[in-house]
Amino acid sequence: MKTTVTGAYPKISDEHQDLRRALHRHDRGELDAEGLSRVLDDSTRWAIGELDWAGVDVINDGQVRWDDLLAPFARAWTGCDRGPLERFYDNNTYFRQPVITGPITTDGTTLVRDFEFARGVARGQLKAAVCGPLTFATLAEDHHYASLEDRTLAVADAIAAEIRGLGAAGATLVDVEEPALVAHPEHFALARAAVERLALPGVPLALQTYFFPADPLLDALAAFPVAQVGVDVRSRDTDALGRLNALRQTVVLGIVDARNTRVETESEVVDLIEAALKQVPADYLWLAPTTSLEYLPHDVAVKKLKVLVAAAHATGGVKA
Amino acid sequence: MSDQVLLTTTVGSFGKPEYLQKARNANARGKLGESELNELERKATEEWIRRQERLDIDILVDGEMYRGDMVAYFAERLDGFRIGGLVRSYGNRYYHKPIIASKVGRPTPMTVDWFRYTQSLTDRPVKGMLTGPYTMLDWSYNEAYKTRRDAALALAEVVRQEAEDLQAAGARYIQIDEPAIHARPEEIDIAIEAMGVVTQNLDAKTISHICYGDFAAIYPKVLELPVDQLDLAMANYGYRWLELFDKHPFTKELAIGVVDVHSHETETVATAAEGIRKGLRHVSKERLLPHPDCGLKTRSVEESEEKCRVVVEATKVVRAELARQATPA
Repeated sequence: MKTTVTGAYPKISDEHQDLRRALHRHDRGELDAEGLSRVLDDSTRWAIGELDWAGVDVINDGQVRWDDLLAPFARAWTGCDRGPLERFYDNNTYFRQPVITGPITTDGTTLVRDFEFARGVARGQLKAAVCGPLTFATLAEDHHYASLEDRTLAVADAIAAEIRGLGAAGATLVDVEEPALVAHPEHFALARAAVERLALPGVPLALQTYFFPADPLLDALAAFPVAQVGVDVRSRDTDALGRLNALRQTVVLGIVDARNTRVETESEVVDLIEAALKQVPADYLWLAPTTSLEYLPHDVAVKKLKVLVAAAHATGGVKA
Repeated sequence: MSDQVLLTTTVGSFGKPEYLQKARNANARGKLGESELNELERKATEEWIRRQERLDIDILVDGEMYRGDMVAYFAERLDGFRIGGLVRSYGNRYYHKPIIASKVGRPTPMTVDWFRYTQSLTDRPVKGMLTGPYTMLDWSYNEAYKTRRDAALALAEVVRQEAEDLQAAGARYIQIDEPAIHARPEEIDIAIEAMGVVTQNLDAKTISHICYGDFAAIYPKVLELPVDQLDLAMANYGYRWLELFDKHPFTKELAIGVVDVHSHETETVATAAEGIRKGLRHVSKERLLPHPDCGLKTRSVEESEEKCRVVVEATKVVRAELARQATPA
């Protein structure tokens, strides 16, 4: 069993507010783009250091440069602008709605520089992440494609190009963050067709679902061409924990609630791991927060990571 | 005002003047005392009352010069809440997301003194402004209650106490905002039940503001929310929610947003007037209240004023049209 994280890490803490201040200064014209970029790199180093220090086995770069899950792509791709603020699912967190104005194209290097930077900093194994195509397509405003199908598959092709770029830069695992799949289970066939395109570059993928129970989709998820599937068994009522053997991939088990400040006890988390081990062999089980830790204040996120890692060690997980 | 149609109003907050923003920052750094800050909040409130009168708005608000966040303000004053660390809302905006850490209770009224003060400044009616129990829950972490329904109903009890105190202090309009009501459409019954607790004993006109989310997902069920008036953002959405009313007629009073609040530019009077005309296709002139889409606290004083001016001018244009139709040449 390995521990990992999904999505974004808190960008600031009560003590570490460099990035917040730098962005304010940048807005006021007191800090140029280069100066801001240096602070963004420093904050990425800080986030990676914290994840490493917490003893998480497989980390990401904390997505410090991401305003939201869609922003890096909406910014970089041609055929795409950034529109009004919208609520991000059932969070009191907002994202800029992408507005699709023409055919989406990318050179596939959107994330390469940041991945290479993070690899130079991380001590342990580093994974990359992309936005799931169904999530991007269902949240975008579209003035170009004829249907949700066309839009989703066009987005999938662009994201596949990004994954190919990440693979060429040395990425060996890429999270595909796809909350739309569990928010709109009726679109699972379309989501699968899109993920099939993401698999073409041959980089192992982890399909991460969150915010909503995966219960209605567990059997369907087994057919997705990915190495890992992330399932939240903690934050909402779900029967998924007793049915994990429906999956054929490695299960990334969301077991500490990244959207509530109540810190789980180690024994609560151990109980969940032991229940999962009745369904999935230890070699096929990874342990994680239920979603981005950025939904928590930094101090609570750190406590949740500690419990996660301690519970993993207590049940025979990999020791750092 | 009694026979006036298309009464104009606003959603609740206005831009804070620069002197107050500086004072709030100084207060947060411990460099300005509470009573000095309070003096400036009262000054800014009075200025906004005079501006609203000058703009000729019919139903006024206090402008929330003394509030930062619409949930944190109450959370800081209720028992049971703890204020957590910073959490990002979007971009570079952070807020202290409250934590419901134990059973909630209301030691003292939270907005009644401000209502009394503001109403004393004007003969026009001032709305009492509260945040609804479902939104209080949804925008907090719940560590204390077993279910979200339990937490919403406990919060409803303290909001009910505050609303009844506002009514006793003379409020004829009480607004209980629920912008999070569509965060989880499957929970709308909880929001409706909780609002029922709040409004059960009120004779004042009750209003609820809803914005930024998938209104279609809760319509027409939201018509069961026990308030007299729904207050909806419309301009930002190109009035698309009005199409829902074709299939299921809208049965409450409608406060209709006719200018977008999140852009620096304001619509023209003609565009806003067209928005009012669209509303009139679904709701009678006695039951339609033009206003800006949402609270204006993210705008400057000047931008806030300009958006209100456009709402009032547009309303006067449409009122004149209605008067001409009523008295054929």
